[in-house]
Amino acid sequence: MFTDAPNFDIRNYLRMEMMPHFLCPGCGHGMALRALLWALHELDIDKDKLAVVSGIGCAGRLSAYIDANTFHTTHGRPLAYATGLALARPDLHVVVISGDGDCLAIGGNHLIHACRRNLKLTCLMLNNEIYGMTGGQVSPTTSETRLTTTTPLGNTEPNFDACALATAAGAGFVGREVTRHVPKLKELIKAGLQHPGFAFVEVLSDCTEVYGRKNDMGSSAEMVMRQKSEMRPSVYRDSVDTPFRSTDLPTGILTRNDRPEYGASLRRAAALASKGAH
Amino acid sequence: MNESSIADLSGSEPVAFNAALAEPFNVLIVGVGGQGVIMVSKVLATLAQAHGFEVKQSEVHGMAKRGGTVFSHVRYGARVWSPTIAKGEADVLIALEWAEGLRWLPYLKRETGVFICDTKRIVPPFACLNRRPGATLRYSGETAEQVAAYVAEGYAIDATRMAEELGNERAANVVLLGALSTALEFPLPEWERVITQFVPKKSVAVNMAAFGLGRSWIAEARTAAPAAEAPVRPAPVHTPYAPRLEITAEWCKSCDICVKLCPERCLRLNAERVVELFAPEKCTGCRLCEWLCPDFAIRVHLDAEAVPEGITP
Amino acid sequence: MNVVDTRRAKPAAKLLSGNAACAAGAIAAGCKFFAGYPITPSSEIAERLATLLPRNNGVFVQMEDEIAAMAAVIGASMGGVKALTATSGPGFSLKQENIGYAAGAEIPCVIVNVMRGGPSTGMPTRPSQADIMQSRYGSHGDYPIIVLAPASAREIYDETIRAFDLAEICRSPVVLLYDQVIAQSSETVALGAAPAAHAERKRASGPRETYKPFAVGADGIPAMARPGDGYRTHTTGLTHGEDGFPTQNPEAVDRNLSRLFTKLDHHRELIDSWETVRCDDADVVIVAIGISARAAKRAVELCRAEGKRVGLFRPITLWPFPEAALREAVKTARAVLVPELNLGQLRHEVERLLGRDRVEGINLINGEPIGPAQIAARASQLASEA
Repeated sequence: MFTDAPNFDIRNYLRMEMMPHFLCPGCGHGMALRALLWALHELDIDKDKLAVVSGIGCAGRLSAYIDANTFHTTHGRPLAYATGLALARPDLHVVVISGDGDCLAIGGNHLIHACRRNLKLTCLMLNNEIYGMTGGQVSPTTSETRLTTTTPLGNTEPNFDACALATAAGAGFVGREVTRHVPKLKELIKAGLQHPGFAFVEVLSDCTEVYGRKNDMGSSAEMVMRQKSEMRPSVYRDSVDTPFRSTDLPTGILTRNDRPEYGASLRRAAALASKGAH
Repeated sequence: MNESSIADLSGSEPVAFNAALAEPFNVLIVGVGGQGVIMVSKVLATLAQAHGFEVKQSEVHGMAKRGGTVFSHVRYGARVWSPTIAKGEADVLIALEWAEGLRWLPYLKRETGVFICDTKRIVPPFACLNRRPGATLRYSGETAEQVAAYVAEGYAIDATRMAEELGNERAANVVLLGALSTALEFPLPEWERVITQFVPKKSVAVNMAAFGLGRSWIAEARTAAPAAEAPVRPAPVHTPYAPRLEITAEWCKSCDICVKLCPERCLRLNAERVVELFAPEKCTGCRLCEWLCPDFAIRVHLDAEAVPEGITP
Repeated sequence: MNVVDTRRAKPAAKLLSGNAACAAGAIAAGCKFFAGYPITPSSEIAERLATLLPRNNGVFVQMEDEIAAMAAVIGASMGGVKALTATSGPGFSLKQENIGYAAGAEIPCVIVNVMRGGPSTGMPTRPSQADIMQSRYGSHGDYPIIVLAPASAREIYDETIRAFDLAEICRSPVVLLYDQVIAQSSETVALGAAPAAHAERKRASGPRETYKPFAVGADGIPAMARPGDGYRTHTTGLTHGEDGFPTQNPEAVDRNLSRLFTKLDHHRELIDSWETVRCDDADVVIVAIGISARAAKRAVELCRAEGKRVGLFRPITLWPFPEAALREAVKTARAVLVPELNLGQLRHEVERLLGRDRVEGINLINGEPIGPAQIAARASQLASEA
């Protein structure tokens, strides 16, 4: 701790020619990207064997900054692209970066089926409760009463609990963390990367420019501080160490099971079939 | 006070143990949460109970959780009235942590008390005057030699390291029980039987080894050198360093997060609205700014070679 | 007496439906990945490959929807393997956005579209040829694409193999377009031995520092990096420069898009394929694909028996349309007849190339194929007028 022990220089994992990145000042996605790259570093994952697949939106743009094999695909579909890639190339580490709109709205079907299939993939859903890139429209995770450009009277739709959804759909690993706790987030992502099946990690991120401003949530720094002040340990949940956001979302590892991994099951069945054919 | 009840550690045979102690025998066990103070206290109380003494054991724990002060009074004898030991009345003070041992020294009998103390140092957060590691700590500076002047019999034993070498740091309290056993007259098999009751089945072997080590260490210390000169491991010293911030100015987007969240308030935005470290002497190198910078504009280096003035290792 | 061992001399003849021939062709072409979603009348391809692929070192996966199937196929191809999906009209519509992605990011892949009646759910079990325009222009924006239109089970087998080869060589999505009748009718097919070697995409080589994912040589096709080979490139559906990263620099965008839109031009000799039947002296040339072309072939015979000079031009590669070959085939013709199972999609392209004066169509959209007699009657009439 008191030496230069973390020994993690994020620049070794960035495409330096792409920096600085395009995110707005104070955007939480930068912290999420740091946590991901830090986790990859600590697990000593070979950049050549790392494939990052992302969708469309602010979160989707992050793949371009990672010095790895990166694929910026179509809106909502990164999990489907990644499914093909991971099945074709089981030797790769496949990480998906998606946003709340990408993953839960246009890509919701792919999410639940990726959870159900339990193929070894790590899916990071950066949840900033808004469609940031298109100018701040309501998303499936926008809290009720919030103002957005398409909810000028305040959001009247209830929002998704993405982790509960992923758990119900059968994901092998489900966790949630806020961007403010970068080392904790890093540990959570590490656990997800090490999970042998489908890992879903929801990152509670901040959109300062279009969401925070519209809802009088203060400066970037105030939004980051609010992540902590709004959390309340709840005695109603199983976990002792579960800080809460205003939306009452527990953090930490929420689900972990050892359901069979889809790719391995598929390969095992294929091996049996090939043996039977001769 | 019954002098015969105190095991004579100076070399001759211990005085015969008297089941009909006129005065209760007082053992004070102290340490910090998580070290196993209560376990030591329970072993001793159980032993004494088994020998037909009246036993009173009172403790403060729970509110301390891990890392806070924990102490336990064990009193046994023919009749014991008060549940706690008054100042200056402890026959043996056994401490699992160095500063906790010193804190409770006034409870030891000035003339005859035996002080057995682990040299393990656990520095509480509030002893950190400055969050910069390597900075002066408000932790006791007394050496074992200085302490020796205050006590009749004193042993500074590096129990934690001994336990570590056995493969389980958590057995440090049983090393101390081994040391304590040389001061009391309960038969060896009794000690072993009771300890076995109180440790997890898996770690009986390592705890028995730890117990033996504590006993033999005292025996050696007694014959080899005056107690106060027993080898004391120097307290761990944090490598002093100077935090240095590498700022990539062209990446900084002036979001102000690092400035507002720095616990030491040593950052600010300069005239160009780029972050700068304006009070380097306050920076502890905690890395919070590096972690929270969404634009990766800050990297914290902890340069080992530059030792700022005023830092005493 | 001379005894010939026919078992050795002739390739094994099999009774195969068009869809089964497609699955067999995919395996023969070295396809290692199929992702699909059940849809009539293409499901037999998926069913066959679900059995064949696991036995041939490949992966079959039925995805949650048509879009996911297309995306998974592109994902697998980005991983370096030959990949296929199969669908019909409604699914083909759903796949369009990602087909555009494959075209723009230049990811090789093969999409089978077994055409059925439309619009919308239409007539799932009835033939149609109404996706001629969608197969070319279905996705948004300008993009190049190759569409092959086989007309028999045997040709489906061959064209499936060629589809994979063209996809790999040109780094382009290739659509295999045929109708419900050919897909689900069984024919005796003599399959040749599987070709020993297939085209493989050009792979990135040389040092990483000098490799540019979208820099090209004279053939207009960039070399593709495979994950794990150390190039660590970026692939995006945004307009990109030679380095593969997004750009909106007008010059860089123009350079890459111009190259993209013309890249197939360098490979027309490989891509173009057509069949002509007695066009040399024809007064009337029938232009048709798929099941309509089979009827037209019979119609040519019927007309010739009457002494009418009628020929057939059948594009096997539908897009890019073999213009030069069509112009050559209609040199002597005073009338061009385009029978098709839609309201004039193929005719539209023929008129674009030849002008409207001498082109007319026969269109059927009731779910029935066009019969030879109907085509022959009109062709004969036109030949007489001529």
